[in-house]
Amino acid sequence: MGKLEGKVAVITGGSSGLALETAKRFVAEGAYVFITGRRQEALDEAVKQIGRNVTGVRGDASNLDDLDRLFDTVKGEKGRIDVLFASAGKGEAAVLGEITEEHFDKEFGLIVRGTLFTAQKALPLINDGGSIIMTGSVASVKGFPGFGVYAASKAALRSFARTWLNELKGRNIRVNVLSPGQVDTPDSQRLDEATRKMFEALVPRGKMGRPEEIAAAALFLASDEASYVNGLDFAVDGGFSAI
Amino acid sequence: MGKLEGKVAVITGGTSGMALASAKLFVEEGAYVFVTGRKQEQIDEAVKLIGRNVTGVQGDAANLEDLDRLFEIVKREKGRIDILFASAGIGEALPLGQITEQHFDKTFNLNVRGTLFTVQKALPLFNEGGSILMTGSNAAAKGFPGFGVYAASKLALRSFARTWLNELKERKIRVNLLVPGAIATPMQESVLTPEARQYFESLIPRGTMGQSEEVATVALFLASNDSSFVNGQELFVDGGMTAI
Repeated sequence: MGKLEGKVAVITGGSSGLALETAKRFVAEGAYVFITGRRQEALDEAVKQIGRNVTGVRGDASNLDDLDRLFDTVKGEKGRIDVLFASAGKGEAAVLGEITEEHFDKEFGLIVRGTLFTAQKALPLINDGGSIIMTGSVASVKGFPGFGVYAASKAALRSFARTWLNELKGRNIRVNVLSPGQVDTPDSQRLDEATRKMFEALVPRGKMGRPEEIAAAALFLASDEASYVNGLDFAVDGGFSAI
Repeated sequence: MGKLEGKVAVITGGTSGMALASAKLFVEEGAYVFVTGRKQEQIDEAVKLIGRNVTGVQGDAANLEDLDRLFEIVKREKGRIDILFASAGIGEALPLGQITEQHFDKTFNLNVRGTLFTVQKALPLFNEGGSILMTGSNAAAKGFPGFGVYAASKLALRSFARTWLNELKERKIRVNLLVPGAIATPMQESVLTPEARQYFESLIPRGTMGQSEEVATVALFLASNDSSFVNGQELFVDGGMTAI
């Protein structure tokens, strides 16, 4: 029997990379999954790849009307949520001195504001005993040049996790942050060879993580195996941030 | 198929509480497990409880000769190790001002020195791609009065984990710290007064202590390939106590 048998999961930004891989794993473990994405085409492709027990809902996680529509759809089709994986986010680089308002507003608008309202709008549908997972980044505990705004936006999620787990304790809802390190995704494959090599050199095993390895950690946090795990900023980075 | 099918695990201090629950779960998931403990009686009881695919070895994890004997037995019976769960430890309370040499020596000898030599002596038997887990404590991230020596001994293990994962990266051996909070184990039951128990429960968001089985599922995650990209972590299993 699967670890998420009969559970309903919502995964934002679930049409590519780590979140798509997680959606596949959740369905393989018995869950019904709603995924979101901004582009209909990518969303259709993801739904096709997942194959069954999935609904794709087009929308931008930084747009509150889109979020309302998402949760209306979830409510209409399933009526409840057991696992929310707020994963929508995008990291763009700008060094101090060259940061524009637009850069700041875009990063914080999606990663911080979008994640907050994703969780808040999901809340009325989340079952007692549910699990909320947000995607952080090991960048938030490092100092990669150019990624100050991105890192800070991800660090804010850790504070949300700690506050919300306390505010939601009466409903036994757990809140954790999953912070991937260097992972081989379609995004990272677009990096130039020198940057890829640099990233790989930072990982003790010398190889980036695979999306399946992040999905396994997300499954752990989503399932009852982590019933006493709460408020973590859980780095899944092959040891990169520990050394 | 189990998650640890065909794997060999060694669990020190494995005759009670969280480590015993982990040993049981590891065997259910297909592993062969060696458990150690200081008292033969408790070992026999644990071996009976686990039921199959288990060898009990009497020994004190602070005693290097006992450790030699343990790994000789493992070598003879199985020849190799995939998972080492160094869990033997003690936590006694004494506030600054009343700390004795004996208290310091006893705590550090078992929790730090014992853990170090457990790992070092296990190393020659370790398969490539193995997993080392050590038991930390969320006391190391808090300031519980009386537990300064204990907390410091547990935090030392984090430094070991970070150093060793780097030293062992060629062999692809992962090293993580499992960090329990307040768990309802026989050891905690025996030392906690009802008042202390109530105090700890008030610190846990859900208001009830963790169960040993809830730690065992996390130990299984860290031991198995599900955590193949998890390394050098302090994985808190404390219901959120440390985070708030």
